[in-house]
Amino acid sequence: MKFTSIAIKDFKEIIRDRRGLFFIILFPIFFMLIFGFAFGGMGEANTPHNLVVVNYDQGATMPFTGEKVNYGDNLTNVLKDSTYENSDIKLFNITTTSESSAENLLVNREVDAELIIPENFSNSMVALITSTVQSGTSTLTGVSADNATSSVIIRGDTGYIGFGVSQGILVGLLGQYQEGVVTGVKNQIAGTPGAEPTKFIETNVEAVSGTENFTQFDFLAPGMMVFAILFLSTTVAAVLTREVESGTLERLKISKMRSFDFLFGGLIPWSLVAGAQVVILLGVAILLGLHWQGSVYSIFLAVIVGVIGGVASIALGMIIASFAKSSTQAANIGTLITVPTSFLIGAFFQLPQVVIGNLMGQTFQVYDLLPWTHTLNALRSILIFGESWNSVSFQVGMSILLTVVLFIVGVFLFSRTRLRAEN
Amino acid sequence: MELMVLAKSNLKYFNFYTGDVVMNYMIEAQDLTKSYNTLMAVDGLNITIKKGEVFGFLGPNGAGKTTSIKMMVGLLKPTSGRVIIDGTDVDSVQKGIIGICPQELVLWENLTCRENLDLMGDMYEIPKDIRNLRVQKLLDDLFLADKANTLVSKLSGGMKRRLNLALAVIHEPEVVVLDEPSEGLDPQSRRVLWSYIRSMRDEEGKTVILTTHLMEEADKLSDRIAIIDHGKLLRLDTPENLKREIGEGDVVDMKLTDPSRNQVLINRLINLEDVLSVVEVDGRIKLRALNAVGKLQKAMAMVEELGIRVEDLSVHQNTLEDVFIELTGTGLRA
Repeated sequence: MKFTSIAIKDFKEIIRDRRGLFFIILFPIFFMLIFGFAFGGMGEANTPHNLVVVNYDQGATMPFTGEKVNYGDNLTNVLKDSTYENSDIKLFNITTTSESSAENLLVNREVDAELIIPENFSNSMVALITSTVQSGTSTLTGVSADNATSSVIIRGDTGYIGFGVSQGILVGLLGQYQEGVVTGVKNQIAGTPGAEPTKFIETNVEAVSGTENFTQFDFLAPGMMVFAILFLSTTVAAVLTREVESGTLERLKISKMRSFDFLFGGLIPWSLVAGAQVVILLGVAILLGLHWQGSVYSIFLAVIVGVIGGVASIALGMIIASFAKSSTQAANIGTLITVPTSFLIGAFFQLPQVVIGNLMGQTFQVYDLLPWTHTLNALRSILIFGESWNSVSFQVGMSILLTVVLFIVGVFLFSRTRLRAEN
Repeated sequence: MELMVLAKSNLKYFNFYTGDVVMNYMIEAQDLTKSYNTLMAVDGLNITIKKGEVFGFLGPNGAGKTTSIKMMVGLLKPTSGRVIIDGTDVDSVQKGIIGICPQELVLWENLTCRENLDLMGDMYEIPKDIRNLRVQKLLDDLFLADKANTLVSKLSGGMKRRLNLALAVIHEPEVVVLDEPSEGLDPQSRRVLWSYIRSMRDEEGKTVILTTHLMEEADKLSDRIAIIDHGKLLRLDTPENLKREIGEGDVVDMKLTDPSRNQVLINRLINLEDVLSVVEVDGRIKLRALNAVGKLQKAMAMVEELGIRVEDLSVHQNTLEDVFIELTGTGLRA
């Protein structure tokens, strides 16, 4: 069987080309390391957010007691001491500084948000306390409430996810702080210690089972795997074009080898490379702290999904090699195609929904026309959520279908342009 | 027993039993033309190559030799014309009849010599046991046996050339096409190659097509030579006939210290009695004449008369190169 000889030849060439192998294996690992380092902590539930506080508060004097107070300092300390629920991990890492340096920190995203406490903040708090006291007791008349209003500013880059999260927490905390002060005063007047007001509506945030500790990296790691698989097409295109350039394909062409032997033979070792990439990258991702929920069965399933994605990449490589004039050009065209495609399939971040229809009860988006979108969806389900075959069968089925279509196109174009007599 | 050889003319036999015309030539190119936009790479080539001969394609680089050969073995589609191999159109010829040793080194650099040969053997569907024997024989014949398990990337240029040839003949083809096989070979490897080419013809009865721009190679190896330039066939004959054709004359080869005066001297020399031709080739003057030695005295007198100095002077017998110069008016663009 001639295709087995071609497969063995290709396999030996892949293994013996140290530089190429280095590129195929280490390049995605390198990417995984960078992404792991950058996004490993992002989104994880119990991570302190970086907050810079600019405190302009001048302080105030309490009526009746004449006590000097500074609620700006008090709020800063409260924020410093706040922890996650049922945890001793702090909510914020707080830096206090001037407004201009806070601005710098914000622009460089060294902090998630900036909190500006105005100079009349204590006055406002005192006014709030005074008005609470006046409304709570009829005996304390004659003390006019200084109805001062102050604005606490939460400033940040609204396009930055870190700001979004910090802002949400801060708004909640400021509300609680104000409420806490009011409740405290009321309790003092009533002489009852620290009873909380009755709550009618309670809000709880719950994570999808198993995702409590998830970070942005958990979302990205399968994306990296598919990116690596997709990037294979660049190498395949370069290798195929090199076979044309060096004349070895011509040598094979005049032999009794058929197009099938060459293309199917080439498919086998490259699919194995795709499978190996999934395993290696999963290993690296786990070392970097991937919260994966699979088992050995999941790895097996993931390898199969990876191999299917690999076949699609090989088909893309064939298409590129049908037109590229040199292996350098093939590598360049490959990069030009695979990098935007990686973004399109959502390897790095979720794209806006562009629904073009419904298929078997599932919404079909424009990105779903690419086989690797399904490879990625299936890998995320299998590795991150520990899903079984049943729940990914649609994705795998779609991926196979689209891969077959792409492969037919690849074989057709490559056979036509490269495996026939030149014109 | 078929009744044959009743009418023999022009390399064709008429078989009265079957009514077929049987050829004793292996390849026939009929009015073969290849043009790339405005460039005419091969222009109306008509050639017949006999079975069992070494056929030399002689021409300078860019003459159209490789293009012609690629069309003759079916790797390149001609713009017009056709090629018939052993009585069959090249498009439907059975694969494996032809073996090609290309001008460039076409090898899998990350495979060993044995792996290269074994792969091609398998591609020609040679059974494993026969393949092993053939691979070993080729490695022995081409002095590559001790490098059998060495990666091609680690071989010397000469060794790669020999392996390049071995890959072309692993399937024992009827026709072996060698495109500039001696290019870049050291004298030792060249001797191995030449003796191997002769043995292919003499011992195995193969038809060998050889392209070269080396006169000596074409002269020593070829049974017949086609001289080709600018895509056109200029002459096709045996080396002896080609040399005879331009006469028994000798050639005076002269190099002047000041080549800018070549033309002045040529204009004078051409008027000498019995001079067949005087041309300038690569800055040297080539004077072809009957009894050239006898003309030498007069020629030198002219040189002195013009006040020109001669740097180098030699007299030799006609070679193929002189034939080429005679036909094209120029030397080989090697």
